[in-house]
Amino acid sequence: MGDSAYSFSLTTFSRTGKLLQIEYALNAVANGRTSLGICTEDGVVIATDKKLASPLVDIDKVSKVEMITDSTGFVFSGVGPDYRVLVRKARKSSQAYKRHYGETQPVSQLVKQTASVMQEYTQSGGVRPFGVSLLVAGVDGDGKTRLYQVDPSGAYFGWKATAIGKNYINAKNFLEKRYQDDMELEDAIHTALLTLREGFEGEMNSHNIEVGVVRNGKFEVLTPAQIQDYLDEAN
Amino acid sequence: MDTVFGIQFKGGVVLAADQSNARSILVYQNNLDKVKQLSSHSAMGVSGPNADLVNFTEYIAKNLALYELANDGTKLSTKAQANFCRNELAVALRKGPYQVNLLLGGYDEKEMTGSLYFLDYMASLQKVPYGSQGYASSFCLSIMDKEYKEGLSESDALLIVEHSIKEIATRFLINQPNFMIKIIDKDGVRVHSFGADPAET
Repeated sequence: MGDSAYSFSLTTFSRTGKLLQIEYALNAVANGRTSLGICTEDGVVIATDKKLASPLVDIDKVSKVEMITDSTGFVFSGVGPDYRVLVRKARKSSQAYKRHYGETQPVSQLVKQTASVMQEYTQSGGVRPFGVSLLVAGVDGDGKTRLYQVDPSGAYFGWKATAIGKNYINAKNFLEKRYQDDMELEDAIHTALLTLREGFEGEMNSHNIEVGVVRNGKFEVLTPAQIQDYLDEAN
Repeated sequence: MDTVFGIQFKGGVVLAADQSNARSILVYQNNLDKVKQLSSHSAMGVSGPNADLVNFTEYIAKNLALYELANDGTKLSTKAQANFCRNELAVALRKGPYQVNLLLGGYDEKEMTGSLYFLDYMASLQKVPYGSQGYASSFCLSIMDKEYKEGLSESDALLIVEHSIKEIATRFLINQPNFMIKIIDKDGVRVHSFGADPAET
């Protein structure tokens, strides 16, 4: 991998026992646009702020919430191009699973697989860690809904609700106040939109956010029209 | 020369196989168990050389165990196990084929049914209500075609097994005095009967 001149790992321990490259990668994530997710018994919602640099950008062509299998989806905060590499790898590995077992890969295994890839990039020669944290929504082997976060280090966590990227501390506090164990998916979608709006710079509308939902075991990305319906209800 | 067959019934699967281990004109043993357990609720009847029988079944069984260990106790469905076997057969086919023809039967708690899969050494895979491998097919299939009914009970399925074994004993050239019969249902894999105890060596 790479030039022989860089066959050593660039992610090396500091004297204090830290892996600074991973810390810096987490900084890149914290500077990224906010993403959040909420997991309920009947579904999962993930959402992100799609705000871009200029009104000239064709925003509908920008895709941040991506389907990986028919029952799992990703969203991220951090460096976009790094994200697309992970999306491609995850899609490929879940198809390989399908080839072997004839069934859809459960989300927990997909997460472990992706986390393993991200960890490799912290211990290989000539590469740097991925500058993204992922939020993964999906259905597991036992049929239950799950929300996972995967960090640049390759660490992964299951969440009831969480936020990453800019303003994530405020967003998480907001979610903590509003989350209930018996929440339903529709409530969760409303709460997700309210949470996004809290930290939103400027006017939030159905075109500058993106929402993905796991419902009845299937993942779908909401259209701007569907998002608009939810926004109208929230108003 | 092996006789292997299986029937799906309401709530499970029955697998049967002869117990002869023979090559050319010599019979090595009469108490071989050719219905190998794969996981807690699945097994496969294997036709083919003893080396591949043992090698392939142990390889699959241990890989299935590894999956459960690596994935928090998640079990693979019978369909997934059958697809996994098929893939292994397909990969090996163009390198060093496993000369095994299989009938894989299993019970799934989620659907509360048994299912039976036919696989051959060329990595074909087909879900079947009943099936057989080898020369036995010429004798058993017509009996199963006639007597099988969807949703039949365990005792009905065992009756068909009995008829098939009787037919083979009457009409098949090769003498196969002993049969191993196993049942897979919600309680797992259990031996129903055998002609000769595989443990006696």
